[in-house]
Amino acid sequence: MKVEALFNLAFGDKGNPLYYIGPISYYLMWLIVASGLYLYAFFETSVAGASASVDALTYGQPWAGGVLRSVHRYASDGVVLTMLLHMARHWAFDHYRGFRWFSWVSGLVLLWLVYVAGINGYMLPWDRLAKFTVIATAEWLDWLPVFNGTLVRNFIFEENVNDRLFSLLSFIHIGVPLAVLALLWIHTQRVPQARTSPPLPIMLTLTVALIVLSILRPAVSQPDSGLEMSFDWFYLPVLALLYRWAPGEVWLLVGAATVIFFLLPWLPPKRRGSERYMLVRPDNRIVAVRAGETLLDAGLREGIALPFDCRNGGCGECKATLRSGTVDFGPYQPGVLSATERAGGTILPCVCMPREDVELEYVPATAPGAAAAHVWRASVESMQSLAPDVMQVILKLEGGERIAFYAGQYINILLEDGAKRSFSFATAPSVNDRIELHVRRIPGGRFTTHVFEGMRAGERVRFEGPLGSFFLREDSEKPMIFVAGSTGFAPVKSMLEYAFSRGVKRRMILYWGVRRPADLYLGELPAKWAREHANFDFVPVISHPAPEDAWHGRTGLVHEAILADFGDLSGYQVYACGSAAMVEAAHPAFKAKGLGQDDCFSDAFRLAPRPAPEMVRLGGTA
Amino acid sequence: MKALRIAAQLALYAPLMAILAYFSTEPRFSAVAPDEALLRVSVIHATQRKEACRERSPEELAKLAPNMRAALDCPRERSPLVVELELDGRTVLRREVAPSGLRRDGNAALYQRIALPAGRHRIVARLRDRADGDFNYLKDETVELGAGRVLLIDFNASQGGFVFRG
Repeated sequence: MKVEALFNLAFGDKGNPLYYIGPISYYLMWLIVASGLYLYAFFETSVAGASASVDALTYGQPWAGGVLRSVHRYASDGVVLTMLLHMARHWAFDHYRGFRWFSWVSGLVLLWLVYVAGINGYMLPWDRLAKFTVIATAEWLDWLPVFNGTLVRNFIFEENVNDRLFSLLSFIHIGVPLAVLALLWIHTQRVPQARTSPPLPIMLTLTVALIVLSILRPAVSQPDSGLEMSFDWFYLPVLALLYRWAPGEVWLLVGAATVIFFLLPWLPPKRRGSERYMLVRPDNRIVAVRAGETLLDAGLREGIALPFDCRNGGCGECKATLRSGTVDFGPYQPGVLSATERAGGTILPCVCMPREDVELEYVPATAPGAAAAHVWRASVESMQSLAPDVMQVILKLEGGERIAFYAGQYINILLEDGAKRSFSFATAPSVNDRIELHVRRIPGGRFTTHVFEGMRAGERVRFEGPLGSFFLREDSEKPMIFVAGSTGFAPVKSMLEYAFSRGVKRRMILYWGVRRPADLYLGELPAKWAREHANFDFVPVISHPAPEDAWHGRTGLVHEAILADFGDLSGYQVYACGSAAMVEAAHPAFKAKGLGQDDCFSDAFRLAPRPAPEMVRLGGTA
Repeated sequence: MKALRIAAQLALYAPLMAILAYFSTEPRFSAVAPDEALLRVSVIHATQRKEACRERSPEELAKLAPNMRAALDCPRERSPLVVELELDGRTVLRREVAPSGLRRDGNAALYQRIALPAGRHRIVARLRDRADGDFNYLKDETVELGAGRVLLIDFNASQGGFVFRG
């Protein structure tokens, strides 16, 4: 961190190359590819031509081929250096365990491939170092029983070296770097929105620095006889070791080091950690944060447009506010997060890891809508009228896709003009290839009128989701009261079906409030649950019973029925879903009865999502 | 302030470039010590059969399919290869190598790199490619090897055995 702080002074927070070591490796690879293509155009793949053509490049065109040969050399050395630094940094910050194992292991494979390409590259100029490299590599491989001393004969006797060798070496020198680039792509795909290029100022300064170095100290070939030579210690130390140790010992060292490095993500000491959840505002989305994952990585992985730049706690670009929960602040530069800011709840999600479930709020840097949830396509599979004004709509996801969601979340149906209509999932998350919606007809409502009058099976719809933070909290033992108003039964049905499938033993009571008994469109279902599950009770509440209904049950407003039944709500969790009026009336009344702020979760119906964070803690709106 | 920052950037880039420049060529490496030369012994040779070929009797030939009636029955396994190298009267290499292949009927190969002090040396190379008996190939030669020079010791039975190539 002190070295990074020193670099920050010189380069500024956003231009510090230490924050872009991985992208710099990437950039150097492109420099190598570009300079290599030029060199290859002039390289002759023959015994007589290899050395002569490289010398012609070096001395015949010093300001083009000569500089590019040196850039090729130094950029290759730079790749090794930056890859090792990149690895060391992730190791030092313990960023190689858990889900990061793939990045670690693929990085190691990359490192070996870079070594193969680099050592192979030193064979091409066919000078003293090239001959030593070829022979030493053959000697090393000859230790393997499959070669057993035969390979090296191809190189120690000059009459055995022919033009085909240089075609083969060139082929390897093109093929292996292509494999490196392909694996680099895979390596970085596992990191959400990983940068693959450093900022432009770093690219420019690095390029200029390499060109200056190439001019001051050009890479040249060495006369081809003798056993003493200038040596590239970035790529060739294993070959040097081969002349101090027996080949078997070098194999043992390299093999053991490789195995140990491969196994590092699973070796002790292991830091404890488990998956946490993060509620992100203003998106109103809940995402899982995997053990060892930063809040930024988790958010980006789920497509949330959290702002960021250096991702190393050095620039402060990702600042956000921690609304609840505690975090491990991680390593960061004190200059970008003052003690006052930290005390006020400001965090740097790029280095923060949650210690428990957390709620995070950030200021979107992009236009509203950029942080939209995933957009899906589905078609109407079936429709069934559940009541005169309630339609059950089953949507089938196109392309055999499956949607993961939390019981209680909702989707936004996207209308042609960009308008959205919110509807909750009505099934448990185990049903993930189709979506059940309960659509209540709103007089004059554009979409709901269409559902009742124009929609047919096969109609295609677009929707975004899953959305919302109204979901079942499983980290409590408190009994749960579900308050459903009209089609607010849909998310409650999703939660209860999920709870029953999970074998939840907590006491659960459903109060379902509607105007008339006929509005209890699936009334038999909760009654059946009550018969089947001893820990579940169902209380239908009718607000406007007519004499012809012959209703003998509870009457009045649904939340008032709860207030009448419970003198003290401090030992309960309440999940309320229904009209905004119902939820907003119920919330203060429940609080007055002792309901804790953290135990009240709600989902209020509105035409379009509108956050109302003051109403409930960790509660969603729709 | 900007100039100061640029100077600071250069000051931090310079060591990085210096590291690249230095370790890409220095310190120089030598495969042997400054006052040493190198011997590379490389032999690949199909040794004699472990057992001699036997002539099949007419009865045996009659039992074989017409296209398989070879007069000689030759066991496939070859003898181990034994190579010995003596440097100024001191044995520096003695290796017995099994022929390659599951049936031990392929070439036997060995490779050995030996560093030795530069100067004049008497080198005696011996090879046995049969199951019994003493070494059946020998070359005894005194060579002058300068520091950093390489002497290749090859074997080619058709050329009479060992070949020393400076």
